[in-house]
Amino acid sequence: MSPEDQSHLLPYARRPDFKVARANELTGKDRQFFRFLEIVPGVAAWSTIFGIILASIYTPFAAAYFIIAFSIYWVLKTFFLSIHVRHNWKRLKHHIDLDWEALVQRFDYDQMHHLVIFPFYKEPREVIEGTLQGLIESRYNKDKLIVVLAAEERAGQDAIELAKEMEEKFGSLFGNFIVTIHPDDIAGEIAGKGSNTHYALHQVREKVIDQKNIDYKNVLVSIFDIDTVIYPDYFNCLVWHFYTAKDPYKSAFQPVPLFTNNLWEATALSRVMAMSSTFWQMIMQERPDKAATFSSHSVSFQALYEIGYGQANVVSEDSRIFWNLLIANDGNFKVVSLSYPIAMDATTASTAWGTIQNIYRQHRRWTYGVENWCYLVYHFSKNKAIPLKKRLSIAALQGEGYWSLVTNPIMLFILGWAPIFLGTREFHATVLSYELPIMVRNLLIIAMLGMVVSSIISLSLTPPRPAGHSRFKYIVMALQWIMVPFTMIVFSAIPGLDAQTRLMLGRYMGFWVTPKRQK
Amino acid sequence: MPTEPKIEGLSQRRRQVLFLFLVLVFVVSLPVMIFYTTGYRLSFDNDKTSIITTGGLYVTTDNLEVEVYLDEEKIEKPRLFRSAYYIQNIEAGKHLLVVQRPDLQTWVKELPVDSHIVIEVAAFNMPVIPHIRPITKYTTERNLPVFKQTASTTIIFPEATTTTPLYATTSLATSSYQINEEFAFVESLFASSSVVLRSVFEPKKINKFQFATSSQKTVSTSPEALKQRGDLSLKAKDDQLFAVWNDDVSGIPHYFCVTEGPLSSTAARYGQHVADSIFKLSISSTTPLLINGDRVCRPEVQLNRLQQDVFFYDFFPDSQDLILLQLEDGLYVTEIDDRAWQNTQLLYPGNNFIVVVENGVIYIKEEGVYFEVIIEIEPPE
Repeated sequence: MSPEDQSHLLPYARRPDFKVARANELTGKDRQFFRFLEIVPGVAAWSTIFGIILASIYTPFAAAYFIIAFSIYWVLKTFFLSIHVRHNWKRLKHHIDLDWEALVQRFDYDQMHHLVIFPFYKEPREVIEGTLQGLIESRYNKDKLIVVLAAEERAGQDAIELAKEMEEKFGSLFGNFIVTIHPDDIAGEIAGKGSNTHYALHQVREKVIDQKNIDYKNVLVSIFDIDTVIYPDYFNCLVWHFYTAKDPYKSAFQPVPLFTNNLWEATALSRVMAMSSTFWQMIMQERPDKAATFSSHSVSFQALYEIGYGQANVVSEDSRIFWNLLIANDGNFKVVSLSYPIAMDATTASTAWGTIQNIYRQHRRWTYGVENWCYLVYHFSKNKAIPLKKRLSIAALQGEGYWSLVTNPIMLFILGWAPIFLGTREFHATVLSYELPIMVRNLLIIAMLGMVVSSIISLSLTPPRPAGHSRFKYIVMALQWIMVPFTMIVFSAIPGLDAQTRLMLGRYMGFWVTPKRQK
Repeated sequence: MPTEPKIEGLSQRRRQVLFLFLVLVFVVSLPVMIFYTTGYRLSFDNDKTSIITTGGLYVTTDNLEVEVYLDEEKIEKPRLFRSAYYIQNIEAGKHLLVVQRPDLQTWVKELPVDSHIVIEVAAFNMPVIPHIRPITKYTTERNLPVFKQTASTTIIFPEATTTTPLYATTSLATSSYQINEEFAFVESLFASSSVVLRSVFEPKKINKFQFATSSQKTVSTSPEALKQRGDLSLKAKDDQLFAVWNDDVSGIPHYFCVTEGPLSSTAARYGQHVADSIFKLSISSTTPLLINGDRVCRPEVQLNRLQQDVFFYDFFPDSQDLILLQLEDGLYVTEIDDRAWQNTQLLYPGNNFIVVVENGVIYIKEEGVYFEVIIEIEPPE
C-alpha cells in the first residue's frame, strides 16, 4: 500500500508493524521482543503444570496450601461468573421480548446501511440458504442491506457456482447482493475467514459503497459466520445500540452466539461445548470493559476503514479486529453488549469421533487467540498514547485469561491430587494429606452446583423440540452438564496447551475451517 | 411494551462490590480451610470454646462391611480412597481401635494418635468358622465333591463350612462320577511333603506329630528356607520367627518404625516389647537400627507364635503384612505390626494336617483329604 493510500488510516495504523502477526515479520529487537512474547504463554502454562508437580514432590505442604487456595478461588470465581450469566440471561430474554422495531422509531436511521458479510468456504447449500432466509425474515428494510457472500477461490468451482446461484436466488430480495471471490494467492495472507473478509471489504467499498456514494459513517458492518441465522430484530437492536452508544464509531457491537441451529441433532458433547461457549459470551456481555469481539459481530465501516479493515494474516481474526481498533484508536474503543442472540451451528460431524476431532480443532483455533496477547503487549509497549493503567490492566487480564484457560482445569481436576500421590512420606503421614482430597472434592461439588444453573439456563435457550425427537432428550440435555469436568480438560485445557505450545515453538497455526452441518 | 430496555447490564460498581465481597470471603475462608485441613478444630467441650488439634486414623481392611469402633464408639463410614476407613477429629493420645463383625474374628489394637498426624493401620478379620472348598478325586455330574465313607453318619468337616454341598457315599463304584483334574494337581503339591511335622526351629527334631502313614519323606519347609515377598522375608532364628526388611529405609512399612524418642516414651506408646527390641537392635552390630528422618526403624520384627512350636510359615496370600503360621493347634494368621500387640487369628484348627501355599491358594491335606481354605471374606448375611 502506498503512503497516499494510507491517508485515511489512523496515525498509529500507518505503522508498518501495525498488522504484525508473527515474530518473523519483524526485524531486530522488535522481532526478538515479539518472539519472546510468543514464548511467554506456553512457558507460563508449562511452568505452572510442572511447578505444581515439582512442588508436590519437594514441597508438598506448600503445594497443598496452594491447591486449597486455588480451590476456594475457583468456587468464588464460579459464583462470581454465574451471577453474570444469570443476569445476562434475564437481560437476553428481556431483549428477545422487546419490540426493537418500535424502539428505534425515535431515531432517524433511514440513511443507515447494513453491510452483512458472510465469508464461506465449502459449507453446504442448506447452511447458506438458512442463513439468507434468516436475513429475509428479519424485521428490517431489506433495501438497506448490502449482502456479501464472500467465497474462496481455493474452495473450487463448486463453491463459487453455489455463491452465484445464491446471488441469483436471493439477490433481488436485498438492496445489494454481491459475491466476492477471494484469490488464494495473495502474498502475506493466511487462508481463512480473516483474509476473505478483508478482501470482501475492499471489494464492497469499491463496488457498492463508493459507487453509491454512501457515507462510511452510515454503514454498519456485520461480519457473520456463514451459519449465523439472525433473530428477527437483530438490525433494529443493533441500530438502537448504535444510536444510544456513547461513541458509536469507537464501538464494536457484540451479540450473544447461541449455537442452536442444529442443537437437537447434535451430540450431548457438542451441546455442552456449544452452550459453554454461549455462557462465556453471556459472561462477557456483562463485563464489556474486559471483552473483545468474538465470532459474529458488528462495527461501523468508518472504524474499519480507519484501520485498513483488520488483518488478513491471523487465525483469530474475530478478536484481532477489535484489538486493531483499540490500539489504533489509542485505547479509545470498546465493546457494546447487545444481549441479543444470533443463532449458529454447534460443531458436529457424521461420527462421534469426527465430532470430537472437530470440537478439539475448533477450540484449538479459538484458544490460539493467545496470539492476540503477543500482539497487544507488543503494541502496548509502542503506543504510549494508551493510558498505562489501561495497558497494564488489559495485558494482565488477557494474559490471566489465556493462562487460566489452560492451567485451571488441569490444576483442579488432576493436579489437585498431585501432593497425595507425589508427596513425601512426612506429608503422607499428616492430616493435611488426608483432608486435602476431601476438601478439594467438597469445594468442587459446591462449584459444580453452578451446573444446575447452567442446566436450567441452557434448557430455557433450547429451541422448541422438533418432530421426531423424543421428550427423553430433555432429560439428557439436563444431565449432560456432568461432562463439564471432562470437556474443560479435553476441549479447553488441552487444545489451549496445544495452541500455546505451537506458538511457543514457533510452529504457527493456520486457519482451520470448522465444518458446518445443518439438517 | 416498554419504550426502552428495562434491564441494564451489570454495572461496574455492582461488579466491583461483588468482587470485593468475594475477595473478603477468600481472605477469611483461606486460613479457616487451611487450619481445618491441618487438623485444627473448634471444641465446645465443658461449655468452653477452644481450638484443639486433632489427628486421624487410616484403617485398611480386607472387607469394608465391618464395624469399626474407636474407644468403644462406633464409627460411621467416611471412606476415602482404597478400601479404607479414615477416622477424623481424634484428639491426641492413646485410642483403642476395634474392627469386628459377628461372623469374623475381632481385631483390636491400641494406638497412639498425634496431633496433625494420621496413623495408618491394617486390620484383618478371619472367619470364626473356617470356610473350605473340598478337592476330591471324583465329582458328580453337578460338580459336587464325592466322599467315600464307611458310615453314612460321619461328619466330614466338623470344624468348617464348605463352599459346596458334599456328596457322601459308601459305594466303591466310581463309574458314574467324573475325574477331578484339580485333584491330581493338588495331590502332586503334597507329594514332596513329609508326613512328619517338624519344628522349623529344630531341623533334626522329628516325630512331634506322626501321621498314620508309613512313608517318610523330605520335609518341604526346611528351617533354613527363606520366605520372600518383595523386600520382606521371613526368617527363623534363636527359636523365634522374624519378619525382616531387606531394602533401604525409604520404602520400609510404617509398622517397622516408631517416632524417635526415649525408650520410656516408646514403651508407653507402643509397648515394652517394642522398646526392648529397639534397645536390642540399637546395640546390635549385625542388624542395626535404621534412621529415617524423625523415625527409628527396626530392620526386623519378631512374630508372635503364641508360645507354641512352629511347623510351617509363609506370607499370607496377597499380603505383605500378614503371615501364616502353622502352630501346634492349628493354622494361624498373624500380623507383623507389633504396635501394642500382634493380633493372631485362627484360620483352621487341628494338629495333624499339612499345609501348602501355591499360587495364592492355601491347600491343606488332613487325614488323606484335600481342601482349599477360603480366605475371601463373604459379605454379611
